[in-house]
Amino acid sequence: MKINPKLSQQLSYCILFLVTICAITPVVFIFFLIIKNGVPNLTIKFLTSMTKDGGIFPAIIGTFTIVVCSIIIVFPVGVFAAIYLNEYAKRNLLTRLIKLAIVNLAGIPSVVYGLFGLSIFVMFCKLGVSIISGALTLSIMELPVIITTARNALNNVPYSFREASLALGMSRWQTVKYIVLPNAMPGILTGTILSIARISGETAPILFTAAAFYVPHLPHSIFDQVMTLPYHLYITSTQVPCVSKTILFGTALTLLIIVLTISLFAIIARLYFRRHRKW
Amino acid sequence: MVNKVTVKDLVCYYGNKCVLNLLNIQIMKNEILNIIGPANSGKTTFLRTLNRMNEYNLLYSYDGKIYLDGKNIFTMKVEQLRRRISMLFAMPTPFPMSIYDNIVYAPKHLKLIKSKAEQNIIVERVLKDVSLWDEVKDRLNWPAMKISGGQQQRLCIARVLAINPEVILFDEPCSGLDPISTAKVEQTMLRLKQKYTIVFVTNNVKQAFRIGDRTAFFFMGELIEINNTKQLFHSPNNKKTADYITGRFG
Repeated sequence: MKINPKLSQQLSYCILFLVTICAITPVVFIFFLIIKNGVPNLTIKFLTSMTKDGGIFPAIIGTFTIVVCSIIIVFPVGVFAAIYLNEYAKRNLLTRLIKLAIVNLAGIPSVVYGLFGLSIFVMFCKLGVSIISGALTLSIMELPVIITTARNALNNVPYSFREASLALGMSRWQTVKYIVLPNAMPGILTGTILSIARISGETAPILFTAAAFYVPHLPHSIFDQVMTLPYHLYITSTQVPCVSKTILFGTALTLLIIVLTISLFAIIARLYFRRHRKW
Repeated sequence: MVNKVTVKDLVCYYGNKCVLNLLNIQIMKNEILNIIGPANSGKTTFLRTLNRMNEYNLLYSYDGKIYLDGKNIFTMKVEQLRRRISMLFAMPTPFPMSIYDNIVYAPKHLKLIKSKAEQNIIVERVLKDVSLWDEVKDRLNWPAMKISGGQQQRLCIARVLAINPEVILFDEPCSGLDPISTAKVEQTMLRLKQKYTIVFVTNNVKQAFRIGDRTAFFFMGELIEINNTKQLFHSPNNKKTADYITGRFG
């Protein structure tokens, strides 16, 4: 049967539109639910008092420090590894294996990273259950994602830019530093923004490596245990009886806001690099 | 005429395939040497061997010697070599920066210029050399990718001039340009001959006739004939050359 072109055009438009609606409905609904129930509880006291006074301040500090620490670790390591793999590594069997391994690493369940972190950082390196152990574990979990997105971003910089720069007597490193990297930066930062969101919300990797059920004081150094928002949320909603729903939603909303705040820095950086790139 | 570049018994391979076979050629100072020939004749390979741009290709291998002013280019530091033998590509490749930054990019990072005043002087000089100055002097901070294709290609020539090389390799620089832009690039090249040595690869036989001092005809990886341009075009010694320039094949 032949459908006339105009009809098929409208039909495909309708289907695409409906699928998009289906895709964003749950997200909108979750946002709506969290904001509606969370906002009334989002008071200064709730955000800034200690746990024993019914606040979540230690968990906010905990999540914030862990996320910032792991981004500080994973961003340079991931980007430099991507630069090496993309710009310098010879295309032989070994690099192909490494690339394959990196892609596969992204598919490992996060709880496995948690156990890995427990055995390597907490026990073997004797870092204990601490911010640094948690941050390192999360870094290793996010490394494949950062490397893959960074490599894609580097690949998107036309090869002709590199050749033109090399033909002017610039070294390979100068070419990477002044031409390739600045043009790949917006793409790399997009990957970083997504990573920040994922790191902030993960519970399993920090379950054994950083998070504490209850700490009466704020962390003194990166070698202290901390409370974190996702773990706190999980504990209070499953293990503690008679917790008001508004507290849970307040915590969830705070987590969302923290993710957005940290991502904002990356978004601003991305804007900066986009402005400076004159296509 | 002084000898600038001497190529001795150059052989180039991609994998097992020989793409240039026992090439011997001399390039004189301040001349325009045309390299013509059909596709797959090894023109571009030869050009990219002269400033060692092929070395990133893992399949590529070579044998033989190339001397620049008597010094073997394969033992030089590659960055040093490319500052002396620079290259221009078939498609204009401006960087995604302003016109001004495109020009000062290499000299600035190679530390050839120090002060801002010196930068301005260089930008003006090289843009005048490619007769682009009058067209862009009021918008030097424009993105280089917003100007026309012909202007972009001339900007790329200006960018090469800014590092003041001795030899400039042109790899079909007019293949994507309209006739007027082509004429401007050609005029620029003729003017540049005073100061630089030019090797010019082209598919356009008429263009080669217009601007080259000498012309080399490549076919299937071999140098068939090299001679004074007028002589080569009027009385070629080889039948293949004659067939190619009269348009019977290629």
